[in-house]
Amino acid sequence: MQDVFIGFTSITWQMIVMYLIGGLLIWLAIKKEYEPMLLLPIGFGAILVNLPLSVVWEHEGTAGFLKVLYDGGIANELFPILIFIGIGAMIDFGPLFKNPLMIFFGAAAQLGIFATMIIATLLGFDLKTAASIGIIGAADGPTAIYVASKFAKNYLGPISVAAYSYMSLVPLIQPPVIRALTTKEERTIHMAYHESNSPKWFKILFPILVTMTSGFVAPISAPLVGSLMFGNLIRECGVLERLSKTAQNELTYLVTLLLGITIGASMRADQFLNLKTLLIMGMGLLAFVFDTAGGVLFAKFINLFLPKERKINPMIGACGISAFPMSARVVQKMAQEEEKGNIILMQAISANVSGQLGSIIAGGLILAFVPLLAP
Amino acid sequence: MDNLIEMLRNSSTTMQAVAVSIGGLIGVFATLGFFWFLIWFAGKIGKGGKESKA
Repeated sequence: MQDVFIGFTSITWQMIVMYLIGGLLIWLAIKKEYEPMLLLPIGFGAILVNLPLSVVWEHEGTAGFLKVLYDGGIANELFPILIFIGIGAMIDFGPLFKNPLMIFFGAAAQLGIFATMIIATLLGFDLKTAASIGIIGAADGPTAIYVASKFAKNYLGPISVAAYSYMSLVPLIQPPVIRALTTKEERTIHMAYHESNSPKWFKILFPILVTMTSGFVAPISAPLVGSLMFGNLIRECGVLERLSKTAQNELTYLVTLLLGITIGASMRADQFLNLKTLLIMGMGLLAFVFDTAGGVLFAKFINLFLPKERKINPMIGACGISAFPMSARVVQKMAQEEEKGNIILMQAISANVSGQLGSIIAGGLILAFVPLLAP
Repeated sequence: MDNLIEMLRNSSTTMQAVAVSIGGLIGVFATLGFFWFLIWFAGKIGKGGKESKA
């Protein structure tokens, strides 16, 4: 008789907490529209995997469909790679080519990754896990998943949830940090818009050169950078429009759907409900704060050496994160609030595109450096 | 270089994180700096530029 009601008798309080967390993620996705394409499947996956007996994961020695997806798409990093092809097909490097100097903000705003990694080690995490936590600061979900699936599979759930949650919270996280680090006078700086024109052939050559350069600097980053740039090459070559559209839409949507529910399935109560999950969520937020601060402070530093008429609005620095185009929009909105008619959107977009490049390069370098010190 | 890596392997985790951070930041700046050079160079070969003030 007990077997008949096993579904009820095996419920634990940890499972109930996970149903609430799953429900919260679904609520955030639907009601607040925070990254709904990811948070909704993650929330549902979290509920599904924590049902009694966890049949969707593994039952009586047989792998369930979510474990099959996990082994086939996350454990071997296939899903993030496929998503990178789609993202690459969506990225237009045009604004960056028009304002190439903005590329350095894409480097400065990666500070959050490294600062958070150091803090994580101080809190007792080993180097590989600390690097995976730090990569939340890449503000780039697939990169976070890719690095975490290589270095810290046990923390894939909280790291992914933190990465996508905070990406959607950029409009709330960045403005207070920017205001704290800048004066009103700095926020109202107008910027001259210098538009340089790169020839069409360079748009085609650029993804190939980026792939080769990254492959030489950090060979282990080749799948990460190569898939992104492959997608971009499809977009820019001009003869594969249907493939480009397929990569941007069908491929990305299908893999996102599978990725989300599979990540949700990695949130099993026994692994998820612990103090470390809370620490990871907290440090993820810190990473975004440090990213923003890194970009803003770098812009202020550069301003020390620039003549008055060429000074940079330091808010642009905050756009060096990978959350595109949200960060650029946030900064343009702030510029308008500070002074009507102050248009810095083009520079902000350029820095934001650089952030997409910077985050993936930072991810590749972490993949290259960490195993050298912690084999 | 091998000596440095060996020394870092034997140091604390935080020291290792600091080393990865320094190397990582230098690496990101250097790589993006190289990309900037490529874009700048392509721009020079291209048609030139125009300026406007917002």
